[in-house]
Amino acid sequence: MLLVNLEKAIGRFSNALGTISAILFVLLLFNVFYDVLMRYVFNDVSIGMQELEWHLYAAVFLLGIPYGLQHGGHVRVDVIYENLSIKGKAWVDLFGCIFLLLPFTLLVGYYGIGFAQESYALGETSGDPGGLSHRWIIKAVIPFAFFSMAISGLGMMIRSINVLRGVSTDGFSHPPIQH
Amino acid sequence: SAADRVYKLKMAETWSSNFPIFGDAPRNMARIAESMSNGRLKITIDSSNKHKAPLGIFDMVRSGQYDMGHSASYYWKGKVPNTLYFTTMPFGMTTPEQYGWFYHGGGMELMQKTYQPLGLESYPGGNTGNQMGGWFQKEINGLEDLKGLKMRIPGFAGEVLAKLGAKPTNIASGELYTALERRTIDALEWVGPSLDLRMGFHKIAPYYYTGWHEPATELQFLVNARAMKKLPEDLREILRVSMKLASYDMYIQSYHESAENWVTMKTEYPNVEVKTFPKEVLAAMKKANDELLAEKAAADPLAKEILDSQAEYMEKVRVWTNISDRAYLDSIDSLDK
Amino acid sequence: MIGIIMFFVALVMLLLGFPVAFTFGGIALIFGVFAEGFDMFAFMPFRIQSYMENTVMMAVPLFIFMGIVLQKTRLAEQLLEAMGKLFGGVRGGLAISTILVGALLAASTGVVGASVVAMGLISLPVMLKYNYSKSLACGTICASGTLGQIIPPSIILIILGDVLGIPVGDLFQASLVPGLVLIGCYIAYILVLTYLKPEMAPAMPQDVDDETRAQQIRSALKAIIPPLALVLVVLGSIFTGIATPTESSALGGVGALILALIYGQFSWKMVYDSGLETVKVTAMVFAILMGATAFSMAFSYTGGDYIVEEALLNLPGEKWGFIILAMVAILILGFFIDFVEIAFIIVPILAPVAEALGINMVWFAILIAMNLQTSFLTPPFGFSLFYLKGVAPSSVRTNHIYKGVMPFILIQVLVLASIMIFPAWYGMG
Ligand code: NA
Ligand code: NA
Repeated sequence: MLLVNLEKAIGRFSNALGTISAILFVLLLFNVFYDVLMRYVFNDVSIGMQELEWHLYAAVFLLGIPYGLQHGGHVRVDVIYENLSIKGKAWVDLFGCIFLLLPFTLLVGYYGIGFAQESYALGETSGDPGGLSHRWIIKAVIPFAFFSMAISGLGMMIRSINVLRGVSTDGFSHPPIQH
Repeated sequence: SAADRVYKLKMAETWSSNFPIFGDAPRNMARIAESMSNGRLKITIDSSNKHKAPLGIFDMVRSGQYDMGHSASYYWKGKVPNTLYFTTMPFGMTTPEQYGWFYHGGGMELMQKTYQPLGLESYPGGNTGNQMGGWFQKEINGLEDLKGLKMRIPGFAGEVLAKLGAKPTNIASGELYTALERRTIDALEWVGPSLDLRMGFHKIAPYYYTGWHEPATELQFLVNARAMKKLPEDLREILRVSMKLASYDMYIQSYHESAENWVTMKTEYPNVEVKTFPKEVLAAMKKANDELLAEKAAADPLAKEILDSQAEYMEKVRVWTNISDRAYLDSIDSLDK
Repeated sequence: MIGIIMFFVALVMLLLGFPVAFTFGGIALIFGVFAEGFDMFAFMPFRIQSYMENTVMMAVPLFIFMGIVLQKTRLAEQLLEAMGKLFGGVRGGLAISTILVGALLAASTGVVGASVVAMGLISLPVMLKYNYSKSLACGTICASGTLGQIIPPSIILIILGDVLGIPVGDLFQASLVPGLVLIGCYIAYILVLTYLKPEMAPAMPQDVDDETRAQQIRSALKAIIPPLALVLVVLGSIFTGIATPTESSALGGVGALILALIYGQFSWKMVYDSGLETVKVTAMVFAILMGATAFSMAFSYTGGDYIVEEALLNLPGEKWGFIILAMVAILILGFFIDFVEIAFIIVPILAPVAEALGINMVWFAILIAMNLQTSFLTPPFGFSLFYLKGVAPSSVRTNHIYKGVMPFILIQVLVLASIMIFPAWYGMG
């Protein structure tokens, strides 16, 4: 029961990241549109607003990756995988999470901390006129996103274990992206 | 024994692997160091193609991921504001004047004073000479023309122009050509003929303005202080001499390439017009520049010390420039007319 | 040596079916740490940051969003169906429409991930609905989505211009004719194929009874004009300098919303839902890029770049031998490595040799660009294939995609060969 609940809690966490990411994306869309409009129609440019574009875009894709993991949105080469039983798939995912996903995301997340800390310690800002300050915030999204990927990966692992224990068959028949 | 032990240093450069002139300086340096040390000092260079972090040199050298870096000091202005002053300044010294300041006027000491607390040593890394003011789609006849001028001009020079109503604009370097051609922006600054030729801006913009904002752009060798300490004293000296020699070599090379490339541009596109900003515009730029610098000096004692040192040195050295090079060129020029 | 072993292990591991992105990342970690220790991964945040600050890649989410909105509002479907009907009884009309729409998208973005995914969203469901062969549909989409590489603006040409020191404008100009020839060849292939095997791409059913041809054309135009106008606005904003190519993709997104508004299909929920799907697809693209950058980091820092360099420096020192072997080498490496890596690692080694042999550098760059474009399509590591798989319905298998791109790869190789042999046809004599 504990594992089933944990799986659900992790699912909620990943979904929340998806929601944040989707909202940031809509902001990005209007941010870029606004910048083009201001420059062309009003001949006005703000470097700060221009920098905000890449801040938003970076947050969108970084926070989106753990959300994608939760929803099976990441590409697999399915030549063999498609033909496996649900338990077979669960073994692949369990193995992959333990030996590939978790070590990778945890290690990158770990080095991301020092990377963001350095920026915080120096009080790094943009070097361009009117640029954004507090550069550490966007840099800190790197470790946050990679640890979140690890958490989503943990969810994937628990899902596989639950399948192997025979208490659930969830999560192995993701609906494809809507058409 | 210690005398024939081989020391290996890893260096990262901001430039991509066959970037001309800028990339020649570190290679030249490594070659000189290796041959002077009889093979005891080996320096390998990773370009941005490999490390993927052109503007991460500061962090990577500081953390010791690389022992050395080749870049430019003003790129670190957002991290450590005082690093701005060791590349070049608008309305500042020319290349020989600035080398005078670095090596004999207290510049090196101030640069180390800035970098030492960061665990870094910084050395001049090669000079581009006077950079051009940039490529313009429209003529600048007065201050009015600067108002709303959309120009790609990053860093401090952008701040100066912004004070006069220009609109510094960020454009990804791969989209610069299209942006200037389609007039998404009105102007941009790059380097000078030595590197502008390969960008092709002369094909799409009619006016090439002379420089004001980067009279003596000095690149930078950045060395991790711990890595430097590990070297025996003779190799340290060899390294310093190699950096100094390679830097001056780059200045000469850049001067030469600019001369050559300018001829090419002019032959390919004879209608490119070289222009100088009107006196009124330059005076306003200088005023804005001085105000910004005064603000920076007031905010930080080390900034004040550096700026005062530069101003004092320039006042002294410019007198000599005037009665030597300038007087010479003026007097010769009048002969041709 | 480690680099080579790493490739084969990655190949085998990918077949297991664990997500591609994390397979790349995990393998990079195992080999990287084994050879160089954990500290190599201190480079990863820098590499990730270089993607974060690469604003040109912003076109990926923005274009995907436009594609999703057009698809949700069924405007894209109507466009393709109408175009298919305009081709009347011609079989393969939908595929040809897909190629033409792909070419238009290619002219407004240089990011392959953006156009393949957008095309996959827009036209794959329509082609499947009309009983196209899955592999033909997939091949057509991958190939036409990848046109963005050769039709300006194009990221690869920007990178090659930088690496080879050629003005980007010159390359954009030179790539136009090869791009058009490629489009022509794709269309010709569809026509020939559907003539030989009509069942692969049935003609659109014609409602002859209730509509005259004139009425058909009128209703087709009605469906075509709005989305086409949108694409033209996107292109127009680039040509008139209103926006950079990257920014134009945001104009496309906002424009798609305006169309939805006009057709009474706009709601904030629709915007949010489209945003959420955009996030999912974008994450799929960037996860692969994150994994791939880790993989190439481990490859080059364990000495892989020296192996490649060594091999390339031993190419023959005579023009044709050099060109042919260089092209073959790039093609083979393209099976494994990302085009950006190739452009940055290999081209700088080849460039000085090519220059010394007196080879026309613009021509050389176009050859490389064509060749690298093919690398997007070659299994197993062709990025276009991954991207399409990411948005395809589950009935479409990796095998369909692999099989579908083969003829298009062949066409690209033939066009490449013709540029090599007859540069004058392409204005590069
Ligand atoms: Na410059
Ligand atoms: Na393109």
